[in-house]
Amino acid sequence: MSIRRLSAALGLIWLALSLPATPRAEAAPEGTLTYGVHVTLAARWLDPAEAEGLITPFLVYYAIHDALVKPMPAGANTPSLAESWSASKDGLTYEFVLRKGVKFHNGEPVTAEDVKFSFERYKGAASTLLKAKVREVQVVDPGRVRFLLKDPWPDFMTFYGTSATGAAWIVPKKYVEKVGDDGFKKAPIGAGPYKVVSFTPGIELVMEAFEGYWRKTPSVKRLVFRSMPEETTRAAALKKGDVDIAYLLSGPVAEDIRKTPGFKLVAAKPPGVFWIDLPDQWDPKSPWQDKRVRLAASMAVDRQAVNQAETLGFSRLTGSIIPRNFEFALPFDPPAYDPKRAKQLLAEAGYPNGFDAGDFYPFPPYVSMGEALAGYLQAVGIRTKIRTMERASFLTAWREHKLKGLIVGITGASGNAATRLEAYVSRGGIYTTGVLPEVEDLFQRQAREMDRTKRETMVHQIQQVLHDRVTQIPIYELAFLWGVGPRVEEAGVDQIKGFAYSGPYEDLSLKRQ
Amino acid sequence: MNGSRAAALTLAWRFAALRTGGFPVIPTLIIGIIAAVAVFADVLAPFDPEVGTLGARFHPPFWQVGGDTQHLLGTDHLGRDVLSRLIFGARISMIVGFTAVIFAGVLGTALGILSGYLGGWVDQLIMRVTDTWLALPALTFAIFLAAVVGPSAMNIVIILAAVYWTRYARVIRGEVLSLKERDFVRLAVVAGCSKRTIMRRHILPNVLNSAIVLGTLMLGVVIVTEASLSFLGVGVPPPKPAWGLMLADGKKGLMAGYWWLTVLPGCCIVLMVLSANLLGDWLRVKLDPQLRQL
Amino acid sequence: MKRFILRRMGYALVSLFCLSLTIFAFVRLTGDPAVLLVEPGASQADIDAVRTQFGLDRPLWVQYGSFMSALLRGDFGHSFYYRTPVLELYLSRLPHSLLLAVAAMAFSLLIGIPTGIIAAVRVNRWWDSAGKIFALLGLSMPSFWVGLLLILFFSVYLGWLPSSGSGTALHLIMPAFALGWYFAAAHMRLTRSSMLDVLGSEYVKLARLKGLPEALVIGKHAFKNALIPVMTLAGINLVIMVNVAVVVETVFAWPGIGRLLYEGIAFRDFPVVQATVLLGGAMIIVVNLVVDVLYAVVDPRIRYER
Repeated sequence: MSIRRLSAALGLIWLALSLPATPRAEAAPEGTLTYGVHVTLAARWLDPAEAEGLITPFLVYYAIHDALVKPMPAGANTPSLAESWSASKDGLTYEFVLRKGVKFHNGEPVTAEDVKFSFERYKGAASTLLKAKVREVQVVDPGRVRFLLKDPWPDFMTFYGTSATGAAWIVPKKYVEKVGDDGFKKAPIGAGPYKVVSFTPGIELVMEAFEGYWRKTPSVKRLVFRSMPEETTRAAALKKGDVDIAYLLSGPVAEDIRKTPGFKLVAAKPPGVFWIDLPDQWDPKSPWQDKRVRLAASMAVDRQAVNQAETLGFSRLTGSIIPRNFEFALPFDPPAYDPKRAKQLLAEAGYPNGFDAGDFYPFPPYVSMGEALAGYLQAVGIRTKIRTMERASFLTAWREHKLKGLIVGITGASGNAATRLEAYVSRGGIYTTGVLPEVEDLFQRQAREMDRTKRETMVHQIQQVLHDRVTQIPIYELAFLWGVGPRVEEAGVDQIKGFAYSGPYEDLSLKRQ
Repeated sequence: MNGSRAAALTLAWRFAALRTGGFPVIPTLIIGIIAAVAVFADVLAPFDPEVGTLGARFHPPFWQVGGDTQHLLGTDHLGRDVLSRLIFGARISMIVGFTAVIFAGVLGTALGILSGYLGGWVDQLIMRVTDTWLALPALTFAIFLAAVVGPSAMNIVIILAAVYWTRYARVIRGEVLSLKERDFVRLAVVAGCSKRTIMRRHILPNVLNSAIVLGTLMLGVVIVTEASLSFLGVGVPPPKPAWGLMLADGKKGLMAGYWWLTVLPGCCIVLMVLSANLLGDWLRVKLDPQLRQL
Repeated sequence: MKRFILRRMGYALVSLFCLSLTIFAFVRLTGDPAVLLVEPGASQADIDAVRTQFGLDRPLWVQYGSFMSALLRGDFGHSFYYRTPVLELYLSRLPHSLLLAVAAMAFSLLIGIPTGIIAAVRVNRWWDSAGKIFALLGLSMPSFWVGLLLILFFSVYLGWLPSSGSGTALHLIMPAFALGWYFAAAHMRLTRSSMLDVLGSEYVKLARLKGLPEALVIGKHAFKNALIPVMTLAGINLVIMVNVAVVVETVFAWPGIGRLLYEGIAFRDFPVVQATVLLGGAMIIVVNLVVDVLYAVVDPRIRYER
């Protein structure tokens, strides 16, 4: 018996007893929940076919669309529009059974044709990869669909069934074919818990509860997302009561919300790790080439103090560039803050008076965090010059290996430990400056390994080597802070693991007046 | 003998000006003090403005509860001494402001003179470029340049100069057009002076007043623009203590009650810009009553 | 006269053409939009796919050619970031920008004209200084600071005004004041000097000789004539306000053109930046053209000078 049926039955009983009760699950949706969003709302986020591998668009997808399987509180590949899924033993076939009776906002049923159409239409992140690996999408019957792969691919569900891509998010075939891509972005229709009422690109998205949502009827009638680029304005709007949830607060602004009675400061934990990248270590003439110097730098940084100042202690200190909750992750604790030992290590390495380490690039816009880190390095004698760059220039320059010295890196890409390692330490990785032969060897082998346990061992080995050689200086797993206003009862914080935003939207609720 | 008489005369003239022309004493004094602070920053500042410890962050000024006399005006979000940063900030803001105004002034005045005096295709070219430039909103243009060249104190100077030279070019060209018709210039032409000589000897000295007035007024605009650039994240790069950067950094502390992080650098900017404008207004009346649309 | 106007229009077209070239080159100097549209860890293949999708892999002159030919057909292209037609975006923002600019101008004149008159007439030295300093203060305080202080005081502390966004007249007050205050000093200065001009003119002297009360002379005769140049400047500034409101719009989350442009630059959204700058530039160039022509009609000497 589904939750909805159960609650409907309960509702009938209550009705029969004519009790003046207001059971939450059965009450008609009411009230408005307004978000002060830090990003600029784009129309492409209304269409899952254009998912760009960033977590941000899922902020909108989770409201208006639904996927076959998606990350939910229950787990990373939670069946949603699909009732169940299974993989064949040879790893070549994945079969999904659709949930019965599920409808899009326009009343049309979700069918296997829509699944096939959505996959073939998908042109976002990793679409070339997915299409190279998938030989065919077979519609077995309207309620059953099969993905046939060319070769065994252990990461298929990591790409298809998580927020790494938007390929599993289903759009109505008939409707899209009728209105076209532009028309779809103007008036999107999905199978999610909320319908789009109006959208002003870059400014505001207004949505209304879809009472026919399969999982449950949302409790909040209207959701409003409002783009507010300035942090102080978001916090002020929250305090004034203009918005109920304000995303991305930090430092003193967050502190103020925490201190204000009636308001809550909460932290979501997206899969983002801050670390310092040391591209100069591959240059035999650089001081960074010496492991002791790298370890000294790692010990010189008071991670907890930075954490306290930036994210009020909500972030989690780490000694690895792989987020703890990733598949195949091997967690490490960072070395303790010990400036004395750091100086000693520097002296042993031949730099008793420290050295000039060149430029220090904070990750925009986290400049004050970079300043703090550079300050700690300075204190033990590693002298740097802070170079702030505009975000796009920074990302381009880093990619093109034009940045020397120290670089603060972070990424929120979904995936597993192997996909994360690929970009930064494997030979083919775009940000890789130098490669350790043993790491590269392990990396190549694990990519072909179908046995999960063996693969895990190899990925763990890679992480062990990186940790032992101190190839990077991990700082912390970033906590994404929001302020929550007094009207909100359930804000949906950190319900879906690794998701930075509110969710699932149908579970949110406001306090009854 | 002669020298002291001249000095006495100058002094007398100054006093007369003070009485009759409403010489802005306080603004001049303020600019003088800021300039002196900028020059002697190394001696005056009690701490290194770029170094702090996180443990000592957000200390209030000494008269407030929790403040101490070690950090008279408190500390910022990284535990750096605000007073020292304000003192060194005077230096950076002055250098950025003055050099940007001078760069813009030299370029704009030169092009304005060329355009106005030579006329013809040179005039056409320069004026079309100026029009195009003016059609780009100043701040947008500055953001562009910042994205292209990357931020550094020197680049900010170049950006500000590149944005604001057109204002000089337009005003100076207008001046030159009317100077061209004046008798002394016509006489010089008749006397066979070369164009270069005329522009240098006869035109330049006569437009200098306008350039100076304009420069004084532009100083304020430049300093405020620099602050706005910092707000948008493309200003003078940290950890250098420029006032605009301090103001932009400090805004995060506004709600939490860390008022000194914005109010103090904000007051410095206001004092500086206000003084420059009052002085500029006075200079305009004294030197160049014709100049209007600024 | 006709020739003069035609020539000026020719210049305006040349300026617009220069602007299109400049902006086209500038946005491309700022770097690659593709890296911003993918995750920092995305592969080169993903980036190349994005580049191809936007036609950024074609030679520059081909890109410029297709940009211009589309432009001549009135097509400003599709935004990289929003994925909607740029003109639609622009037109949805324009009313908000104009509204903000008009309201800001009202504030600006409300501060600038009285202080300018007082400064010219010098009825009272104290009022003169106070007014002047109030007007100049707007010029001296960076508008993001003014904006944040206003929000904290009127929205959070007093709870009188909505903190940000748009919709009602109440939403308009704070951003309009923050923007208008900055321009007040310019209007004060011009009011003052043009009042001085008019007060020195023959007919004002005549009016005084006739023994009209001073208040009437200033209020009616002088003020009316001094207003003309002020209104001209206000017209030009109105257009400038639409284009420089970036900071105020960011602070107040106001849905205007300035933010569209600023965010366009940050996202390397070439079509948005090109269209916004060109349309904004066209507005400025057209207003300048109109002003020049009007001046020439009023004062024929100008035709020879320019």
